[in-house]
Amino acid sequence: MARFHELEVTDVRKTIRDAVVVTLKPVNGAAAEFEFTQGQYLTFRRDFDGEELRRSYSICAGKDEGVLQVGIKRVDGGAFSTWANADLKTGDRLEAMPPMGSFFTPLDAGSGKNYLGFAGGSGITPVLSILKTTLAAEPESSFTLVYANKGVNTIMFREELEDLKNLYMGRFNVIHILESDAQEIDLFTGLVTEEKCAQLFEHWIDIESTDTAFICGPEPMMLGIASALRNAGLDDAQIKFELFASAQPGRAKRKASSAEDSRAGNQAQMAITLDGATQTLEVSKDMTVLDAALGNAMDAPYACKAGVCSTCRCRVLEGEVEMVANHALEDYEVEKGYVLSCQAYPVTDNVVVDYDQ
Amino acid sequence: MAEDMSIESYLAQGGKLSNPANVPPRYRAELLKLMTSFVDSALAGAAGFADVINEGPGIKARIAAAKIVLEKSDNAYQVLRLLGEFGADTRRYETRHPWAARLERSADIGQRRSSQDMRLAVFNYPLKDWSDAVVMNLLMGRAVTLQLTEYSQVSYQPLAEVFRAIAPIETHHAELAEEGLAQLVEQCEKDALQASVDYWLPRVAASFGTGDSAKFEALKAFGLRQTPNEDLRAHWQAVAAETLGKHGLSLNL
Repeated sequence: MARFHELEVTDVRKTIRDAVVVTLKPVNGAAAEFEFTQGQYLTFRRDFDGEELRRSYSICAGKDEGVLQVGIKRVDGGAFSTWANADLKTGDRLEAMPPMGSFFTPLDAGSGKNYLGFAGGSGITPVLSILKTTLAAEPESSFTLVYANKGVNTIMFREELEDLKNLYMGRFNVIHILESDAQEIDLFTGLVTEEKCAQLFEHWIDIESTDTAFICGPEPMMLGIASALRNAGLDDAQIKFELFASAQPGRAKRKASSAEDSRAGNQAQMAITLDGATQTLEVSKDMTVLDAALGNAMDAPYACKAGVCSTCRCRVLEGEVEMVANHALEDYEVEKGYVLSCQAYPVTDNVVVDYDQ
Repeated sequence: MAEDMSIESYLAQGGKLSNPANVPPRYRAELLKLMTSFVDSALAGAAGFADVINEGPGIKARIAAAKIVLEKSDNAYQVLRLLGEFGADTRRYETRHPWAARLERSADIGQRRSSQDMRLAVFNYPLKDWSDAVVMNLLMGRAVTLQLTEYSQVSYQPLAEVFRAIAPIETHHAELAEEGLAQLVEQCEKDALQASVDYWLPRVAASFGTGDSAKFEALKAFGLRQTPNEDLRAHWQAVAAETLGKHGLSLNL
């Protein structure tokens, strides 16, 4: 199971007005855990007013650059991204899980392939990692990037991409499509839609010789591009998707008033067994079993926190709890005393639960 | 760029998801169920088959059986790795169940799964002997091949990729089973073979699930299914009838 590790922030650099590139260094001997493959992402966790938020950000560094860097664009109302853009500084520590994701294809120094990348806004981060790694690792391969942005001043990594064009002259090509800024060529203005792609494939992109296409951007853009690619003859195995930015609800939930939590009569004593060890806690009845465990530094398993995935299942051995939602457990499991700990609130004053069963 | 689109509508239009961060809760539940069911079935299938390796008539047959056990375990591992990205404790998972455990051969559980794991009901029945194992592996192998073709299209791209890689391996397992069947037919074990076919047919057929159309439509909207269970089952029956017919056996459902 993936665990969180501490990382030290060694640099925070602004790329555009509302996006930062954060350089990280694993501490406490976790460096090996953070070996990554191009196109992967890190999942961070941080507490905002008592509410834990988890956010994933793509690595933008190339595999052989020797650094771990992620790009974080500020999302309106996004608690984590706003904090990262406004307050994060060198020397801070962040917690992240080891790199994950399969937004990449295996590389082979001997092969000469033609890659096509589509990025919308901050969707550039994993694509940048992929193209840098690929161009360095496969000297015979070429990469064409179609990069969609609102205007010139919102293009992340614009200078870095120019430098790469010079470094890999003839093998790397960028087509900037700008939504609102007019360009010399009409085709390069507007949104990257299915029609726009079809037009690009006519004169600007050699789609017939494309081996693999990578797409990372908002949903409608991904659908349009994928459709155009399929119409041009690419099959599902040749199209790699990564959907990120717009789908992440970023707002931290305001914690319900906790003043009355501590009032007498609303407390329960809970014994929680996890990984063979048992801890007895004095907890509020307004707190789920899972939150009680997590709040007391027990690394209880969970994923969705919405009562659907059953990752957080535990068994009630004594006492009674109430589940507010259950979309995962079957009736026979409930009969046996299994509960989804993310949805279970203590009812009796004494509760004994076991995650190991 | 700034157009808003819900994940649900994105999926309904054929969109793909690529990481656990933005899958909607209900989708996550169905996806995890699908993955867990595959992992548990593959582990249970491998564990059950491991017991009959030594009964293989000759070294080649035992190598084939051992290879099947090895590869099914590896296939389970590939999907379990993805489950880990959703927070599952993979190390604990591997040792969670006695995967070789089976019910009585005469148990009648229909499509019900056991309370312990998510393996398909068919993997709760014990194999009787070598020829029984060959028949089961052939019938289930053909079913898995079709099911994997279906699941290679799922909207969770990392899983679709794993299934695309696994599909030819499982197809080969069914081919090995058919070779084994041909040998057994030569040795004139037809009655015993037909008895095994009759035993396994309804159980494998049940592994395609029910025809709950509301459920299917929901999964289809998520991009997790394309072809209704009934159609897959009918397709499998046709394939199984043809294969069995080649070897002088019949499909009596």
